[in-house]
Amino acid sequence: MTAVAAENLQTTPRPTAGRRVLVAEDSPITHELLKLLLNQRGHQVDIATDGQQALEALRTRDYDVALLDFHLPKMDGLQVAAALKKSPSGHKLPRLIAITADVGGLLAHEEGCENFDHIIPKPLDIYQVGKLVEEQADIAERQAARTQAAPATPTPVEVGAARPPPSYFEELGYHFIAWPDDLDANRISARGMQATLGDPRFDGILIREPVSADELVTIWHRKALFALPVIDLTGTLGTKADLDGSKLSTHDAEQVKQLICRFQDQRARLHRDILFSENLVEKLLGRVFVSDRPLTAALNPESKSLVSYNTTLSGHLVAREAETLCAQGLLRQEFFDRFYLCPRCDSARMHVREECSKCRSADLVEESYLHHFKCAYQGPESQFRHGDQLICPKCRRELTHFGFDYDRPGSMIVCQACGHAASDPAIGFVCLDCDTHSDSDACPTSDAYSFQLTDDGLGFAEFGNAFLGQAHDVLRFADLPVELIVALNTAAKRYNEEKVPFTLVNISYEKEREITAEHGAREFAQARDLFIDNLRAALQKTDMVVKGQSYDYALLRDIAPQQAKEGLGKLRDAAQATVRFDLGAKLKAFGPEDFS
Amino acid sequence: MWHLTSESLAFLTSQSGVSLFTLFWFVILFEFPRYTLGFIATLTLAVRSNKWKPYSVDRLSVVIAGHNEEDTIERCVLSLHEQSRPPDEIIAVSDGSTDRMPEKLRELEERGLIDEAHCTQMRGGKSAGVNLAVGRATGDIIVNVDCDCTFDRNALKYIIEPFADPQMAGVAGNIIVRNPKASLVTACQAIEYMISISQGKQAANLTDQMSCVSGAFGAFRSGALERVGGLDSGGGEDLDVTLRLREAGWKAVFAPDAICYTDVPVTLMALTRQRFRWERDAVRLRYRKHRALLNPFSRRFDVIELLHELDFIVFNVLAAIAFPIYLTWLFVTYADFALVILLAAQVGMWTLDLFTFLLAAWMTPKANGLALMPYLLAYSPFYGFLMRMVRVVAYVQEWVFRASYRDPYVPKKVHLARK
Repeated sequence: MTAVAAENLQTTPRPTAGRRVLVAEDSPITHELLKLLLNQRGHQVDIATDGQQALEALRTRDYDVALLDFHLPKMDGLQVAAALKKSPSGHKLPRLIAITADVGGLLAHEEGCENFDHIIPKPLDIYQVGKLVEEQADIAERQAARTQAAPATPTPVEVGAARPPPSYFEELGYHFIAWPDDLDANRISARGMQATLGDPRFDGILIREPVSADELVTIWHRKALFALPVIDLTGTLGTKADLDGSKLSTHDAEQVKQLICRFQDQRARLHRDILFSENLVEKLLGRVFVSDRPLTAALNPESKSLVSYNTTLSGHLVAREAETLCAQGLLRQEFFDRFYLCPRCDSARMHVREECSKCRSADLVEESYLHHFKCAYQGPESQFRHGDQLICPKCRRELTHFGFDYDRPGSMIVCQACGHAASDPAIGFVCLDCDTHSDSDACPTSDAYSFQLTDDGLGFAEFGNAFLGQAHDVLRFADLPVELIVALNTAAKRYNEEKVPFTLVNISYEKEREITAEHGAREFAQARDLFIDNLRAALQKTDMVVKGQSYDYALLRDIAPQQAKEGLGKLRDAAQATVRFDLGAKLKAFGPEDFS
Repeated sequence: MWHLTSESLAFLTSQSGVSLFTLFWFVILFEFPRYTLGFIATLTLAVRSNKWKPYSVDRLSVVIAGHNEEDTIERCVLSLHEQSRPPDEIIAVSDGSTDRMPEKLRELEERGLIDEAHCTQMRGGKSAGVNLAVGRATGDIIVNVDCDCTFDRNALKYIIEPFADPQMAGVAGNIIVRNPKASLVTACQAIEYMISISQGKQAANLTDQMSCVSGAFGAFRSGALERVGGLDSGGGEDLDVTLRLREAGWKAVFAPDAICYTDVPVTLMALTRQRFRWERDAVRLRYRKHRALLNPFSRRFDVIELLHELDFIVFNVLAAIAFPIYLTWLFVTYADFALVILLAAQVGMWTLDLFTFLLAAWMTPKANGLALMPYLLAYSPFYGFLMRMVRVVAYVQEWVFRASYRDPYVPKKVHLARK
């Protein structure tokens, strides 16, 4: 199997010189387009229009990269690649990239896609082609340099060849991307690349070797991989994996099937805007949708934040990205737990202990004190204790009867290190990561949440970017309160019969989240009520103000929206006047035409 | 009316020396010597300057024990931190408080305003609370204060001065009433404190008669306090510990410049209850616990101690007992005319009180005495009649019924153990 080199592509500087590129493509439109594009980026491009031409060109000249269409006349791209690899010509072997609309066919082909270093699906994303060609050329250059420097080092190709025996899961007939065979922290195989294209025939990611959450972040750096269920054969990922495969036996095939089917079904519903998104926030949303499970927080001692979620992304990243989604109203958060953080390194891994408030030693001993009623002596029990007897240190009388001549009114915590005593110990934290000591009140707290998709989140996952645009500008009839729908019907009827116009004003509060976060939901609700009352007072008796769920509405009679729009600003100011917070109210007018 | 008055005056002025004594024997026997002693003392003090020099102690501890004092403790602690000689250590004890005093102490400890806070779950009484704190205190001098007291900036500096004398074990601070304007009762007490504490104890100093380092504000040499075992159970523990220190050969004095302020009872009812308690405890301590001081054959007998015992017997006990007898005799003998005689006696008392008052006000300028002058009219009968009657009742309660053993100021469990 061919592997992509182990370099971090992002850090590679752009090439200074142009690359030599062979484009083997029978469609003149496509090869002209590619030539134009690559020339613009400073590369030298040769064209081959069939397989034989391509093979000849590759055998007679040095190329950095060859883009081979899978379906070429005379000899297909795969045959060209295979022939080239089987009998090297003495010329430099270029990086081979397949171009095809039939990714499935290529993958299923006997010769295997291993002969290619990369696959680009059709239709072509022309910007990506340019980037990819340059990346591949860089890799070729570095590989060449390394082979010269240390020819004895086995190439990744050879390492990849020592593939472990297929596991039980692979024998179930599913297609898995395997860690670390297809994908590891630094490289991805052609199969893996294929999966990043959203190929529906990939069923999941199989973890064959122990791996840390930090390494798995590579899943999230690629496209579409997040939408695959993760089956952990090592049993080390815990709840981060979707299925712990280490404990499964053949009887659990049904469980595997259910998981894979669930992901497949949901993946099919996931909008491609999100499936192919490069944005981590959107990937996370897609993941929640595809897994069909809430993002559930769980305690995890291996994470610095002590929290991990039921996904391979590390806890703090999930929390950060999910917060953005919550702010957008796409996720809803549910309190999980509160953590104290080390003020120095933000770690939640802290050792909590009772300690002396003076010297911070944890060497505390609790001593109860006795009160001898007769002589009023009150002091620690140790002063009274003589063998099994209690003798008052002041009057030397023996204490004989609890409650009658003495009692134990309390206790003190005595520090064995400095002798300080207190009725209560202080609470201190020691950070396990940076060894910093802090007092409990000096530690900031951090709340962890579990997350669930909201209706908006579901809508976005299914309908992509268009959903957001729509939801914000178009009235959704289903969202309107019933009484408003009734009133709207009446108004629409009057409009149809007597041409009496009406305007529906939709009121949204842009500062809702901000105010709720700062002052609480109750304060916001009160402010909103006051706003509505003010609005009612500012309007005419015949007008109607209705409270809705997320938005409020005002139905203005006998006025067309164009006319109404001019007065909306004034109306807003009048309603806002006595309200304590600026609600960020936005008033939008809709007329009869909008309800067709 | 006028007729009666002029007739009375005529009667009074026509009396000879002997018959005057017959009419006013009570005043002449009990009131006159008291005032005279006071005048002599004051005049002596006036010509003597303060004999103490600034003195530094290595370590000064303050102990505070209180029951349900969440509202007052912070002000008290803050005024301690304002001292020109701040304490090296403050140890506070919440004695079985049921209010939020334990939380308050914890907060003060967190803020670094007190060094140790101890909170008992069961009330053990003031003595037990102080003993617990004293046991934890590490200072050479331990100052015991009440939660409801606040202090002049130099109070601690002055209260430690007498400890330059190595025999000195207890120093009483000067207590001034913080709320004289709260009611007529507090105004009268303000005058009383000024005369009996500020001036009275200074007079006692002259003859080494200072017998009570008051619990509101007093300093002790920790070694001496330890040797006598700290405070004993039961009320009046301040008088008791001072007597025991003196018996053990230590000295106790009054430091007039070490000034603290405290709130006194506002209602007559509360005041009466407080005085019943004080008087009962005084009787119990002097004539039960420390009766050996009066026994010439006891090893503990000492002429110096006898003086303040006699002072208490004559001017407190005998005067209190003789007073109702005098009143009865007066009314039986002179019927309606007794009122005139009493009024005449009262006029004399006012004159004496005014004189004493002016002297006391002059000696304790901090007390702002002159502002209290109008209340002097009420003070004379308040002190001469009312407080004397309270005393008589308290003495009877204690002698006959041993009432101090039921005082709720001390927990019941302690009373039971003491009997």
